[in-house]
Amino acid sequence: MRREPANRISRKGLTVWRIHGVFYTLMVLVPAIAASVLAYIFEGPVWIYIVSAAVPILLGYLLIGLFPKIRWRRWRYEVRETEIELQHGLFIVKRTLVPMVRVQHVDTSQGPILRKYGLAGITVSTAATTHEIPALQMEEADDLRGRISALARVAEDDV
Amino acid sequence: MMSEERHRLHPITAVIELVKTLKEAILPLIVIVVANGLGREKTGNFWLDNISIFIFGLFIVFTAVAGLIKWKRFVYWFEDGELRIEHGLFVKKKRYIPFERIQSLDYTEGIFHRPFGLVKVKVETAGGSGKDQAEAELTAVTRAEADRVSLEIAEAKRLKRMPADGGVATAGTEERVAMPELPAEEETARTVFRMGNRDIVFLSAISGRIGLIFSGMAVLLSQFSDILPYELIFDELAAFVKFGVFLVALVVLAVMLVGWVISVVWTFLSFYGFQVAFDGDDLFISRGLLEKKRMTVPLKRIQAVRVSENPFQKMFGYRSVKVHSAGGGEEAGAVISLFPLVKQERVHELLGELFPELELGAELARTPDRSRPYFYRIDFVWMIPVIGLASWFLFPYGLLTLLLVPAAILLGMWQHRSAGWAISGRQLTVRWRGFALQTVYVFRRRIQSLQVRQTVFQKRKDVATVNASFKSGTGASVAPMRHIDRSDAERIMAWYDPQHRKGREAIPVNGGAAHE
Repeated sequence: MRREPANRISRKGLTVWRIHGVFYTLMVLVPAIAASVLAYIFEGPVWIYIVSAAVPILLGYLLIGLFPKIRWRRWRYEVRETEIELQHGLFIVKRTLVPMVRVQHVDTSQGPILRKYGLAGITVSTAATTHEIPALQMEEADDLRGRISALARVAEDDV
Repeated sequence: MMSEERHRLHPITAVIELVKTLKEAILPLIVIVVANGLGREKTGNFWLDNISIFIFGLFIVFTAVAGLIKWKRFVYWFEDGELRIEHGLFVKKKRYIPFERIQSLDYTEGIFHRPFGLVKVKVETAGGSGKDQAEAELTAVTRAEADRVSLEIAEAKRLKRMPADGGVATAGTEERVAMPELPAEEETARTVFRMGNRDIVFLSAISGRIGLIFSGMAVLLSQFSDILPYELIFDELAAFVKFGVFLVALVVLAVMLVGWVISVVWTFLSFYGFQVAFDGDDLFISRGLLEKKRMTVPLKRIQAVRVSENPFQKMFGYRSVKVHSAGGGEEAGAVISLFPLVKQERVHELLGELFPELELGAELARTPDRSRPYFYRIDFVWMIPVIGLASWFLFPYGLLTLLLVPAAILLGMWQHRSAGWAISGRQLTVRWRGFALQTVYVFRRRIQSLQVRQTVFQKRKDVATVNASFKSGTGASVAPMRHIDRSDAERIMAWYDPQHRKGREAIPVNGGAAHE
C-alpha cells in the first residue's frame, strides 16, 4: 500500500471552509425564512415550516460541520525532490502525482478570507494541468513556492 | 541573407478579406433583411422601405474599402532573425516573431488562390502556455514567395544554431546538429500515406458530420415555426398520428437523405487527395479539392497517438488514427487526423514507420470482473428520474424508456470488456470504449500528471480509476483506466513516480507494487 503524503494543510483552512459553509447556508436560510413568513401570513400548510426548518439545518450540518472536516482530514500533500503528491476529495479520494520536471510555474494566491487568517493557496501548473493546495500558512506557502520552482528548475528529464 | 526589403501580399487579399467578412455576416444580414424588409407593411417612403438593402449595400462598400486599405497597409520583411509584420486599419500594429520561435508554416489554397498560383501561409509558433503565443497569417502570397519565406527561416535558424552549439560541441557533433536543419522541406519528404478515392467516399459516407448538418437544418426549419400550424397539429394529434405518421416519416427520411448527401459531398471535397508525407522531423498533411490545405506537424510536438474504431469502421475492417499535438493554432494544435480511414492491417505498419519507438502490440491487462457493475451502475442516477418522469407524464408510451435500462447495462458490459491497459518500458497504452473503441499510446515523458481516484463504492471492491493527463492543443486530454484493480493502480503510479524510479532503470510490469 502506498504511503499517504506526509503534510496536512493549515488547521485554519478548516475554519475558512466553515466560513464558506456559513455563507452557503445563509443563502438558503434567507429564502427559507421568507417562505415561512409568507406561509404564516397566508396561512399556508404546515409542511412549508417543516421543510424551511429542515433544509437549512441539514445543509448547515453538512456544509459547516461534516464536509469541511472530512475534506480537511483528507487533504494531504508532500513536496519531494522529484515530485509533488497530493491527496484530496470529499466523496472521491483523488491522489495526484506531478513530477517536478513537468512543473512549468507555481503561483500563490490569497482571497480576502484567506488573508484574514494569514493563509495562502498554491497553484502548480504543468503544460496541461493545474493543481491547487488550498490553504497554507503564508510563510509556508511562500517557502514552498520558492522550493518547488527551484526544484523544478534543476529536475532532469528521464526522456 | 537578411533582406530588409518590405514585401506586400498579393492584391487578391482584398477580395479574400471581403468574401470572408461577407461569409461571416451573411446569416445576420439575411435575418435583418427578412425581418425588416418582408415582414413589414409598406409605408410608401422609398428610402424607408428599402432601408435594409441600403444598409446591406453600405456594408459591402465599407468592407471592400476596408479590405483594400488593410491590404495596402500590410507589409512584412525579415530583419535581425525575425519575421516582422506591420499592419492595421486604424491603429498601426507591429508584430515581430523570432525565427526560432516559428514551429511550422501551413499552406492553404482556396478557390481564389488557385488561378494565381497563390497560397495562404499560416505561421505557427510554439505558444507553450498560450500566453506569449504569437501567430501570423499571410493571406495571399505566391508559392515561390512562400517557399522563400520558409527557406529564409530555415537558413536563419541554421546560422543561429551553428555558433551557439559550436562553442561547446566538438566539430563532429556540430556537423550532425547542423545537418537536419538544412532547408529540407517537402522535396525530401516521402509520402507515407495516401487515401484512395474509394476510401474517401467511404469516409464521407460514415463520417459523423451528418449530425452537424442535421442540426443546421433543424435550425433552418425552426425559422418557419411561425408558419407551421402547431396548434392545429397538436389538437388533432390523434388523427395526425393515424394518417400523418407515414407522411412525417417520409419527410424525415427525405430530409435525412438530403443532409447525408450534402455531408458526403462536403467531406469528399475537403478530404480529396488526402496524403501524409514525412521527412524525418515533420509530418506534412495535405488535402482538399476546392480548398487545398497543407499542414505541417512537427514530430516533437506530438504528445500521444490515438487509434479509434467505431462499430461502422469495424464492420468494414477500418480504423482511424489521430495524433494529439501540443501548441497554439486551432489547426496544428489539439487532435489531428493522421489517417482518417485506414485498413486495420496497415495501422501497425504505418505507425511503425512514423514512430519506430512505439510499442503497438503490447498485451493489455483486462479490467477485473468484479468491477463490471461500476460501468453501468452510475447511469441509474440519471435513468431512474428520467424513467420515472416519462412513465408518469407520458403513460403508457413513457414506459418505453424502461428499455434504457438493458441498453445502458449492455453498453456498460461492452465498455468493461473492451477496456485495458499496458505498460511497456516507458510507454503507457490505454484502451477504453465510449461507443467507439479508443486506444491511446503515450510515453511517460508526455504524461503531465497522473491521478488515482477512488470512491467509497470502489473502495469496497478494492478497485480504483487512474487518469493520465497529457497535453493536447493548449489544454489537456485524459487517458482513463476505469475501475482497475487497486494494486494495478498503484503499480502504474509507481511506474510514473520519478522517485520510485530513481536508481532502477526498468521496472518489470509484474513487479514491486509496494512503495516502501
